[in-house]
This record gives sequence, C-alpha cells and structure tokens, in this order.
Amino acid sequence: MNTYLHNYTHTQQGRLANYCRTGELISIDGLTENRVHYYRDLVYNVVDDTLQSAFPLTFDLLSEDEWNEIVHYFFSTHKCRSNSIWKMPHEFYLFVDGNDLDIKKKYNFIEELLLFEWTEIEIYMMPDVQYPEFKSNGGWLSEIITVNPEHKILQLSWPVHLKNPGNITVDNKNEYYVLIFREKESGKVQFINLSVYFAWLIEKIEIEKKPLVKILKEAESLFGIEAKKLFENTIPFLEELNSKQFILGFRK
Amino acid sequence: MERNKHVGIGFRKDFAEEFLEGKDLTPAFLEVAPENWMEIGGYWKKVFNKVAEQYPIYSHGLSLSIGSPEELDWNFLKRVKSFLQEYKIKIYSEHLSYSKCDNAHLYDLLPIPFRWDAVKHISERIKSVQEFLERKIAIEIVSYYTPVAAEMSEVEFISSIVKEADCNLLLDVNNVYVNAFNHQYDAKDFIENLPLAKVEYIHMAGHEQVAQDLIIDTHGEPIIDPVYDLFDFTVRKLSNTVPVLLERDFNIPELKELQYELNRLENICKKAWHYEHILA
Repeated sequence: MNTYLHNYTHTQQGRLANYCRTGELISIDGLTENRVHYYRDLVYNVVDDTLQSAFPLTFDLLSEDEWNEIVHYFFSTHKCRSNSIWKMPHEFYLFVDGNDLDIKKKYNFIEELLLFEWTEIEIYMMPDVQYPEFKSNGGWLSEIITVNPEHKILQLSWPVHLKNPGNITVDNKNEYYVLIFREKESGKVQFINLSVYFAWLIEKIEIEKKPLVKILKEAESLFGIEAKKLFENTIPFLEELNSKQFILGFRK
Repeated sequence: MERNKHVGIGFRKDFAEEFLEGKDLTPAFLEVAPENWMEIGGYWKKVFNKVAEQYPIYSHGLSLSIGSPEELDWNFLKRVKSFLQEYKIKIYSEHLSYSKCDNAHLYDLLPIPFRWDAVKHISERIKSVQEFLERKIAIEIVSYYTPVAAEMSEVEFISSIVKEADCNLLLDVNNVYVNAFNHQYDAKDFIENLPLAKVEYIHMAGHEQVAQDLIIDTHGEPIIDPVYDLFDFTVRKLSNTVPVLLERDFNIPELKELQYELNRLENICKKAWHYEHILA
C-alpha cells in the first residue's frame, strides 16, 4: 500500500466515517458543524431502509426502540464488507446469529426469522445455476428424478415460515423444514413446508440420484413405514412439486 | 418515438417493467451501478440482459471508494472488470469521494479532505485502477455539505487529480450548482476552471433545498431551471459532444415526465453542439 496519505488526513477521514457509523463526533478540522449530521442521517437511513426492506417480518415484530437499538448496534460495531448493499442484510443476520444479544432472549426464534427472510432474497438474487438436462415424462419409480437446482432446504426449530412471528410461542418449538426455490421462468420464489421425510427424500433425490424405488426401500427401514404407504403418500407430493416447477422431470 | 441522441437515464428497477413494455421513455443509453447488477440471476438478470440487448450500457460505480485511506479492493475490481467486459460497457465512472473507511462500507459518499497528500494518494489509486481495468475511468465531482480539513480549493483538488492521474472527468452539473450554493462560490467560474477537455460524461439531476443555506443532492426532484441554465452554459464550453445522463433515483414520476426532461436536455445539447459544429 502506498504511503502518500498522511496520518493526519487519514485521521480526519476516519473520524467522519466513524461519526457516520456511530453518531459520536470527535473533532474534525474545518468542519461545518451544523451540517455534518446530514452525513450521519444519509448513511444511517440507507442502512436502516435496506434492513427494513430485507426483513419486513422482523421489523414488524420488534418495537421501534428494539429495532433502532439493534440496527444502531450492528452498524456501529460491525464493519460491513459487502460492496453490493443488497448483500449487507446477510451480514446483519450473521451479526445477530453470532452475538450474545438481549433481543435473542425475548425473541428466541429471531435468528431463524432473519435467516428465513434473508434466504428469500438470496434465492431470488442468486446467480443462475445450470439446469440439468431432463425430459418431462417418465416413470416416478424407475427413473431418476431431476429437481430445480436453484433451491435451499432450511431446517428450523421454529415455524417462522408458517406463523405470524408475533404468535410464535415456546410450545411451537419443534423440527421444521422449508423448501425455498426459484421458479425458472418468472424468477419468483416459492416456499413449501416439508415433513422430515420429504426433506430427507428431496436431499436423497438430489444428491444420490437414485431411482425412487431404491430410495423408498431405504426410507422403509429408516422411518419404519411400509413401502406401499410411503409410495401412496410420496407420488402425490412429487406430482405437486412437479406442478410447482420444483421437480423438473426425469433425467435424460 | 425516436431515441434521444445524447441523453440517457439511470436505469432503475422501479420503472424497469413499464420502461420495457412501453414507449414513453426513449433514452440514448442506460446507466447502471455494477454493484446492483453484477453476479445476480433470476428475474433481474433476465431484465438486465433484455435492456442490454436494446440499449448501450454505461456504468457508474458506488463502492470502489477511490478516496479511501486503505488498499483498493482488488477482488471487487476483478469482478467489475468481468461485468464491464461481459456487457461491453464503454464508460466506467466513479465518485471522487469515499464510501468505505477502515474496511467498513458506509453506502454513501463522504467528502475527501482537499489536501495535497490526498491528491497524490488518490491519483496513484486511479492510475492503478486504470491499469488494471485497461481503460480510463471518469471520476465524478460529488456534492458535499461540509469541507473537511481543506488546504486547497475544490476546483484545484479536482483539477490536480485529473491531471496527475490522467483520468477523465464526469461533470455533474447539478452537483456543481449544489456545491456553489452550499459553499457560496460562482458555479460558472468553477466550471470554467475545470479541465473541460477531460470531460467524458455529464450528469444532471434534481435536488432539494433543506435549509436557507443548504441544498441536498437527492436525485428525487425534477431538474430546476437554474441548473438547466448552468447545463447550457457548460455544454457550450465543451469542444466535444459527450453523453449526458438524467439521474432520478427516488420519487420517480410518470415516464412521460422523465422523457420531458430528457428532451429538454437533448434540445440544449443540439443547439449548443450544432452551433459548435458550424463554427468548426
């Protein structure tokens, strides 16, 4: 790194930047003091607006004071690394997830709510993934099913995808799965609540690329459900996923 | 409707669909911030590909932070370079400001101290960027609301950097108007003292007066008449025609209103540059 910039200049710049992040002003030479707050306001509003847009459910859940406190704490103590501002909310989620915050005691599902809201953005914006070659028609049991590669399955302990966050109680703690994927043509993001069996099944289909008949045999022993019953439940579900453009068809 | 020849518009998601479906807005080109459009997929990637097939794309960066004290973000620049190449983008411009300090992004533009060491520091950074991108960049005169530890005038600061870095200038006429108002200098004198031969690109926008003595550069209002007048003055001073951009980032009106602004700018350009052409 070159050393042309003097420490003095660096210090003045750093003080202004620090003021914009924290709201705490340390003397800056030559400043028009009654105007400097515009910089703090502009910077903070951009960050606050971006987070409100990214996390509308969380914003609605928290009181105004709680929201302002967490946003201020995040922006004043965390150094945002994302060049693209739309990626910055991911850092906010990681910040909440990785820090011991009082708000997590009051809302013990807040990390999962933030993760759920961020994942919608992530899937909506993610770079295009090469689709596998597939044919539309085939046999569910004997052929290898192909799925939309632009997806994620979240494993959650709270039903943040099913209930208004304000109505979630400790009694709701359980094991939940949600499939989040992007429709190819419209680019819209869809959410589907999954049972543990269907979450397992989708991962098997995607990763192991085995025909369903083999996966069902494995499921029979793993879940202790007879194959015939599994088959009766599974095919309608796969047909539904096919109609929703998550299951594309069958490997060519 | 025939497309404008010189005047483009900043492409916004807010009006993307209406723009693509209708014919109310016919800019000469579109400008985008690479940070908002690179490394994305899905719906907006399709939209971007569609507009890039139909219009020349210019780019105006947000987060290079050429005025930062710390090292340049080479990984980011590599990704920008790839984006510029993929879409054959002719102009890459950035702000003469800093939006990152001590490795923390701020997502807005802070004023650099007008100091000689900053001139040297920033010029070297611009040279490095130009070498890496294998093209000249245009740096934009930004609006500012307070000086910081200044030891030289704004015009001297800008001119020195343009000369030392051998880069181009993005002349934001509205920003000059805003700065002249906020810091009480003569906008025309200021423009006449800039290295006008280096102007590669012009920006125009609206602003908001928030106090008796202060204007904020909001890009959320129509351009006002005195800024059109300053624009007329400016384009007559240029020896070459350059692309002109209308920036409208907030409070987006009907597209016909934006087209009216584009037409008004285009007419000023035509009159000024036609006259120059005859003289030449």
